[in-house]
Amino acid sequence: MSEVAAQVETLEAPARRRRGRPSLLFAVCLLLFLGVVFLAIFGKMIAPQDPSAQDLSQVLIHPNGAHWLGTDALGRDVFSRLLVGARSALQGPFAIAAISMVLGNSLGLLAGYRGGILDTLLMRWVDFMLAVPALLVIIVIAGALGASYWLAVLVLAVLTVPVDARVVRGATIEQVPRPYVEAAKTLGVSHRRIMFLHIWPNVSPVAVANAFLIFAGSLVALSGLSFLGLGAAPGTPDWGQMLGENRALLFANPWCVLAPGAAIVITAASVNLLGDWYYEWIVGRGASR
Amino acid sequence: MSAAANGHDLGGPLLELDDLRIQRARDGGTIVSSVSLAVGAGETIGIVGESGSGKSMTAKAITGLLPPGVVAKGEIRYRGRNLVGQTERQLRSVRGHEIGFVLQDPFTMLNPVMRCGKILRESLRQDRRLSKDEWRAEARRRLAEVGIHDENVIDRYPFQLSGGMRQRVAIAAALARDPQLLIADEPSTALDVATQREVLALIKGVQEARGMSLILITHDLRVAFATCKRIYVLYAGSLVEVGDADDVAAEPFHPYTQGLLLSEPPADQRLRELIAIPGSVPTPDEVATSCTFAPRCRWAAQACVEGSPPLREVGARRLSACIRLEEIRPEMATLRGLAQLEADPVAAARSENPLVVVRDAQKIFTSGGGKVAALDGVSIEVGANESVGIVGESGSGKTTLARILVGLEKASDGTITIGDVPAHDYSKLGRKDRQKLRSTVQIVFQDPYSSLNPMLSIGSTLQEAVTTHDRRARNVDARVADLLESVGLPASYAKRRPVALSGGERQRVAIARALAVNPQLLICDEPVSSLDMSVQAQILNLLAALRAERGMSYLFITHDLAIVRQISDFIYVMHRGKVVESGPVEDVLDRPQHEYTVSLLEAVPRSDGDWLVAAET
Amino acid sequence: MRNDLLIYIVRRLFVGLLVLVILSFAVFVLLFISPGNVVDVLLGAAPRTPQTVANLRHQFHLDKPFLVQYWIWLRDAVQLHFGTSNVTQANVVTELQRRLPISMFLGFYAYLITLLLGIIPGVIAALKNTKNMGRLVVASSIVALCAPAFVTGVFLLFLFAVVWHLFPIAGAGDPAFVDRLWHLTLPALALALPAAAFVLRHTRASVLTVMNQDYVTFARARGLGWRRIVLTYTLRNALIPVVTASGLMLAFLITGAVLVETTFSVPGIGLLLVTSAQVKDLPMLQGLCVVVAIIVIVANLLADILYALIDPRIRLGRKTA
Repeated sequence: MSEVAAQVETLEAPARRRRGRPSLLFAVCLLLFLGVVFLAIFGKMIAPQDPSAQDLSQVLIHPNGAHWLGTDALGRDVFSRLLVGARSALQGPFAIAAISMVLGNSLGLLAGYRGGILDTLLMRWVDFMLAVPALLVIIVIAGALGASYWLAVLVLAVLTVPVDARVVRGATIEQVPRPYVEAAKTLGVSHRRIMFLHIWPNVSPVAVANAFLIFAGSLVALSGLSFLGLGAAPGTPDWGQMLGENRALLFANPWCVLAPGAAIVITAASVNLLGDWYYEWIVGRGASR
Repeated sequence: MSAAANGHDLGGPLLELDDLRIQRARDGGTIVSSVSLAVGAGETIGIVGESGSGKSMTAKAITGLLPPGVVAKGEIRYRGRNLVGQTERQLRSVRGHEIGFVLQDPFTMLNPVMRCGKILRESLRQDRRLSKDEWRAEARRRLAEVGIHDENVIDRYPFQLSGGMRQRVAIAAALARDPQLLIADEPSTALDVATQREVLALIKGVQEARGMSLILITHDLRVAFATCKRIYVLYAGSLVEVGDADDVAAEPFHPYTQGLLLSEPPADQRLRELIAIPGSVPTPDEVATSCTFAPRCRWAAQACVEGSPPLREVGARRLSACIRLEEIRPEMATLRGLAQLEADPVAAARSENPLVVVRDAQKIFTSGGGKVAALDGVSIEVGANESVGIVGESGSGKTTLARILVGLEKASDGTITIGDVPAHDYSKLGRKDRQKLRSTVQIVFQDPYSSLNPMLSIGSTLQEAVTTHDRRARNVDARVADLLESVGLPASYAKRRPVALSGGERQRVAIARALAVNPQLLICDEPVSSLDMSVQAQILNLLAALRAERGMSYLFITHDLAIVRQISDFIYVMHRGKVVESGPVEDVLDRPQHEYTVSLLEAVPRSDGDWLVAAET
Repeated sequence: MRNDLLIYIVRRLFVGLLVLVILSFAVFVLLFISPGNVVDVLLGAAPRTPQTVANLRHQFHLDKPFLVQYWIWLRDAVQLHFGTSNVTQANVVTELQRRLPISMFLGFYAYLITLLLGIIPGVIAALKNTKNMGRLVVASSIVALCAPAFVTGVFLLFLFAVVWHLFPIAGAGDPAFVDRLWHLTLPALALALPAAAFVLRHTRASVLTVMNQDYVTFARARGLGWRRIVLTYTLRNALIPVVTASGLMLAFLITGAVLVETTFSVPGIGLLLVTSAQVKDLPMLQGLCVVVAIIVIVANLLADILYALIDPRIRLGRKTA
């Protein structure tokens, strides 16, 4: 899904206009995101109950004072599972976004700056990746090698890096023929210095905004896998998995299905909007022109 | 809608602007502070101004085509009807039918997915249905009027045509509903030099044949003089001078007009020095409470900054906004005389020891399966302390040659020697030789806006240039300050980012960067063609001064013969990858041998009307 | 010009075939190296004797070298023999034939909704472009983009099947058109919403870009009518990037289909893929991969051809006369 979002980003860019002061929406997004990050780190400590404790006498009860969102089919507290699930929701996407920032940006810079075989290979790789839906690849690999959260993260990273590299490559190719790069070349500035000191800062608005999109996209993709039972290990508090496991309980206690669903959408949307806002801010500042 | 039916007599002006003001809605910033003008039936007027003068916005305002967020106030009367504030639907009866409009860039003006015939067809009046044959005959007739006699153009897409052809098709489309007034916004600027004159001659010819009125928007006073009867000079959003073309050409009545005229070097003689206007064009709001030109005017006095002077009558059919005109007229005349002093003739002999020798250079580009020879057996020499010019249009290969010399491209064949280092392929050289070449040859590019890294301060850019070749350099900051000073910028500019600099200032920094390695040869690839006319002369003077001071060689690449005459001793004329003529600059420009050189010379704008007459075919 | 187009199509077809072969090889390798003994899976509860193991190994060509195994598999695959599922013993091709129509129905239904909900509001949002409209479109499309099909699906189920009993909660209904339409409406909607958000944003952006082009200003300067400009200038030029993005949209829809079919228990190939992955049904996975790859390649080819037909610059090349 991240590749689609990335595409929107690049195509949308020319039509954007500068926006003034950060809006209320931005503040809300930032607060929400920081909240989720806080939960991902301290969720275990502040959860009111043990998220894995089963209580078969308290199955499928509706929200009340003790269980704010009720309990699931095994009597586990949905609210606590929701809080603790933030970690599973954020750690994978964070790893993927970080890997893409390092590997994808370097590859993209190198391919865009140097061209040649590396560039051709990268582009073929990306064409291939774009034609094959990432989630399906992971499903097939999970089917063959067995499901695991970190395997899914790894595969998703492998699939995301070239897509990120393509975005950075595109932005790099725009910069390379500019006279400031050519002037640096004629001065004899080293290629590495040109790439990382001259070109990267001018490409970074796109690269960083894309990292946000990758983060949001991976979050959605990983929860999808957990939803299918091919991601997080059974029993782990994970939003996607809660949704999948409790899908049949929509009549009995809708909260244990709807709450994790809302958590996924809200978190992913805030990250996405933050990326959007960042891009407009940095471009509006005129630094990239 | 005929004039008689409208109850207006034909003698009155067709179009009148009365205190037109144009502002940005968002922040109330002024684009045009006040413009009043009148166009009679069959009259031709020129609105002349540099970028930022508001000339294009004025043109757009007339037909209600201002971009979103920009609003016009005041009155625009067409046959007595005020167009300001009219709705899109109301304006449709004026656009195309009464006022035709041609934009600057023929490459973006035509719908890329529509055949030219269809563009013409939709532009025609829609009131009667034409059969297929009738319509084709009509399209042929319309194309013939703009000098296209190839019927196949009807079935072509715009991207299959050259720039000049596209502009002709666009003119035909703009004229399709037979308007009474044509507004042409820099119709020739995006085109090659030779085509420029053809398109201007075409517009002038059509205007005369139809007896139509014409508003020509241009940055080039000479073009306006040659095409139009009456001239309106616009500066920073307000008119500074109005007069008949012949009178203004003979004696400008405003220091700005005169400055603009003197900034443009003549093609027929080399001047001792160009008289440049210092500084750069301000925004209208920066000069709202004074004479707009006061900050750059050599005659500015206290009175000039004590209020914004109105246009006043200063002669028969002449208006000027200069309040000191009567006092300074003699001085202006003296300055004009000074500006015409010819330079001493340059030595015709070539330098004994050539610094750069290019023999039979070839450069083949492969694009889309086809091979294009950008350079086809080019041989040139640049001697020590010699200024060599290369003249040619886009596609002549002049820029490719420059890029090969600095190692941004490899030559496909031939030998190139710089100093004693073979330089046809930098990547085959050892580190030491490459380093040597790079401290021998440096380059200044055309576009000042992208020639500096926007994320680095001016100081960091120059520091890098200094330390790349001298890793143990001491006092880097002092050297950066020296460099800035040598190109006429204060040392405090080191802290600024490129965004805060004007085009001319950026080009100065680019020159300083090239000077950082003390090169023996400076290649200048169209260094002034992206700059405003009033800034061009400053940079040319700077380059001339730097050469005198440092004894560098120049390889000056340009399409402009007038510029090459001012700056070069020896020139090569390039056409389609070949050198067609070479020799001392005076010989070549005064007694051109090759027909291509002759056509280039004819294309240089001259103030007299004959300039366009010859191009009409 | 026709010839150029033909050569273009043939070349794309060839590339597609090549991708297919590489992909099939990758899939085969992947499943070849998969942990867990295939024989164990195949045996299931049956008694394990050296004889039965040898029989199975021979029957499934497991005793042959790797490349020979691939060759045998490829030869069968070309003839559409993917063998039988090693879990349910169902014939892979029969199973696919049974489920493919359901998924295709769902896909086309969702595609229609996507275009309907994407293009029309996208154009309107661009034509009535105000600051607030822009914010609304961007924000809502981001939310929709971030709402994966399974979450949207669950919410739709809750609203329209649990709170108001308007639509069935699961399954694909019987093959009769109306019943199927009724059953697949919620799944198609869940599938289409994120894609529609993507198309909406894309359409709005490209219409806005086109409206700022010189050629639109020039058309207005010639007195052309507003409707004409919108219909023949803005729409046609703005749809070009939307068409090029349809390949991406397809990937989007296929991915979504897997999630949606699971959410709504629709017995299509997406659900089959998930269950096969969960139980390691290798022959079924191989067959599914090939089928999905063919769908993706053919659809991308169609998008490319459409693109070439709409934009003369692609069809005729950027040659100047």
